Amino acid sequence: MGINLDEGEALSTVILCETVDISSAAELKALLVKALGSGKEVRVSLEGEAYLDATAIQLIWAAEREARSGGVGFALAGPVPERISAALLDAGFDRFPAAECAR
Amino acid sequence: MSMASNADQFKQSFREEAREILVDLEAALLELNENAGDGELVGRVFRGLHTIKGSGSMFGFEELAAFTHNLETAFDEVRNGRLEINPELIDLTLGALDQIRAMLEEGAGGAAPADPAACAEILAKVRRLTGIAAGGAGADGGGKTALAAKPCAASGGAVREWSIRFAPGPDLMLNGTSPLLLLRELRQLGGLSVKASMAAVPPLAELEPERCYVAWEMVLATAVSRDAIRDVFIFVEDHCELSIEAVAGPAGEGLADAAAKALDEPRSQSGGRRTYDKPDTATSLRVPAAKLDQFVDLVGELVTVQARLSELAARRDDPEIAEVSEEIERLTSSLRENSMNIRMLPIRATFEKFRRLVHDLARDLGKDVELTIEGADTELDKTVIDQLSDPLMHLIRNSMDHGIEPRDVRAARGKRPTATIHLSARHSGASVLIGVSDDGGGIDAEAVRSRAVEKGLVDEDAPLTEAETFALIFQPGFSTAKQVTDVSGRGVGMDVVRQRVDSLRGTIDVASNRGTGTSVTLRLPLTLAIIDGLLVGVGDAYFVLPLANTLECIELTTADIERANGKHVANVRGVVVPYIRLREHFDIRTPRPEIEQIMLVETEGGRYGFVVDRVLGDCQTVIKNLGRFYRHVQVVSGATILGNGTVALILDPERLAQDAVRLGRQGLQRGHGAASSAGVAGRGRKREGTGVSAV
Repeated sequence: MGINLDEGEALSTVILCETVDISSAAELKALLVKALGSGKEVRVSLEGEAYLDATAIQLIWAAEREARSGGVGFALAGPVPERISAALLDAGFDRFPAAECAR
Repeated sequence: MSMASNADQFKQSFREEAREILVDLEAALLELNENAGDGELVGRVFRGLHTIKGSGSMFGFEELAAFTHNLETAFDEVRNGRLEINPELIDLTLGALDQIRAMLEEGAGGAAPADPAACAEILAKVRRLTGIAAGGAGADGGGKTALAAKPCAASGGAVREWSIRFAPGPDLMLNGTSPLLLLRELRQLGGLSVKASMAAVPPLAELEPERCYVAWEMVLATAVSRDAIRDVFIFVEDHCELSIEAVAGPAGEGLADAAAKALDEPRSQSGGRRTYDKPDTATSLRVPAAKLDQFVDLVGELVTVQARLSELAARRDDPEIAEVSEEIERLTSSLRENSMNIRMLPIRATFEKFRRLVHDLARDLGKDVELTIEGADTELDKTVIDQLSDPLMHLIRNSMDHGIEPRDVRAARGKRPTATIHLSARHSGASVLIGVSDDGGGIDAEAVRSRAVEKGLVDEDAPLTEAETFALIFQPGFSTAKQVTDVSGRGVGMDVVRQRVDSLRGTIDVASNRGTGTSVTLRLPLTLAIIDGLLVGVGDAYFVLPLANTLECIELTTADIERANGKHVANVRGVVVPYIRLREHFDIRTPRPEIEQIMLVETEGGRYGFVVDRVLGDCQTVIKNLGRFYRHVQVVSGATILGNGTVALILDPERLAQDAVRLGRQGLQRGHGAASSAGVAGRGRKREGTGVSAV
């Protein structure tokens, strides 16, 4: 499965393992909403062959904005893989949501 | 609509638009063959290939994109002055376009090559010409690799900056388009500075996950034109907001400033969500032809019902019903005219595609031939256009193979080394005339006649006019060719022409002069669906004359007939006009009225009168086919159902006049059945070849 939600005691982690595009964007939204609704801090983990298209980026961006306005912690679980970082910079995104892109 | 069907729909849209680009590419290549140094044409070819490659990749046609990439690279080399245009490159590219066309066919999946061996051979030759190494971007299926590997394809001309704003519409991503791939495409054109704007992204709960809310502001430094930039967005232009503005000031300065400024400009927002208002209303729509045909069929049914209503209103003598009926008649008439106009298309695309045929045949036959085109903007019904390609192809093949002489023969005859095939189109009343002429050796009438006698088509002593002799070439299996070639000689092509033109209710005229060339003219109806007609009556029968042919109506009295000494001519303000009695032509055996009416019509052969008992008025006429049984009845082009349920025959004035002249001449030759002095039809006998009785 390309998208999973791992609900720990203090953290809800949305795990992205494969390409997230328009075909799985609805699923990502549902998991982000669920994670934010848990009241726990949220982490986004990019693993394996994870790749994000515009629909995924805007979802994570909106989730991060919502978390901040509600005072909920929202961050990446680790560094942004270089290829994702480079692709995002090429596409004009200054930073990955919840993390600074490596320049 | 589901995502899958949306994607299919947009793939289909890509196929259709790519086919149009292929047509343009083919035309540009053939022009380039004549004007090898034309940089504008080189740019046109490059942009076409670039668009097909980039958009193909975006819509999942990966192999098509990879194949096209090599050709694009070749033309980039030409643009950069590193490669010269030569006939081999033109032919290779034309061959490659055929392969791309095959890949675009439905069912080709991800557009795998239909003929992998041919594709591989083309690519090998292109690489040899251009020096591109095998295994490069194109060889590894890498439309995408190519994009990434080639940071700047822009070259030539002055570099300038363009400010570009791109905001996907609500359904852009549903069609399978990736905005990020479009940005990569743009990057290929030059130095690109990009800034994504998230201002329109709504709260998470309101966010539709399959819609792209991100907008991009960019500054592109490139030497390519605005059109070339727009080409990147060609398949999504109707599904996004797009502006491309030239940025003042020298290139290389203020890129970031321009992007920042663009981002600062206010954007319309509604509840945190960007409203999607296209800046320009779409000026054209792409509609499936089948839907259009269904629409015209329905209009045809409406016209028939409206005629019934008019008939009913006339019988009821109720002013209120009459008023409604007249209003509906007016609206139906407008609707019919509009629906028919929608189906009218210029013949240009059909004509233009024969440039390729002429190019290929000239090469294969070792002849120098140019194609000239006249009247390409002439419009006719799509149904007619759809059926014209085959006849025109056979006529052109015949001209190229049999008409146009070999180079040495032309030289010996003092002719221009380059022969000409001329395609023309023009309107003539309710018909359109399509001409195919050549400046070749002309038809050997004697050889045609001998061959026809040999095949038992005519008697040895049959008196044939030149036109009748030439008409023999359209007989099935007829050929005077001494040998069958790949191009023609089996006597099939001209038969196909005749059959197709017959099925369109058209006629063929051939004119030819030995040594100077041949001209074939197809006379075809403008439309096959609905026409404006004039309803006339003879006895109990009804006929419709196409209104486009009719000029005026005059009375014919017994005294007029006596003054003409029984000849079928009328004096119209001092001009003698021959007339044809429909009563006699169709053998209608009812007494004729004291005063008849002559409908004057204009034909290619001059002005004729058709004598009827009464003129009932104009009518919208839905043309119904008479069916196979009556397919040889040339003087009737169809039938229509009147408001009272009666059937009226739709007459073909051209053929009726020709038929009358022919019968008149036969009457004279046989010495019975006096023909009029004007050579018009004999009287009082069943017409041969007419084979139809009045309704």
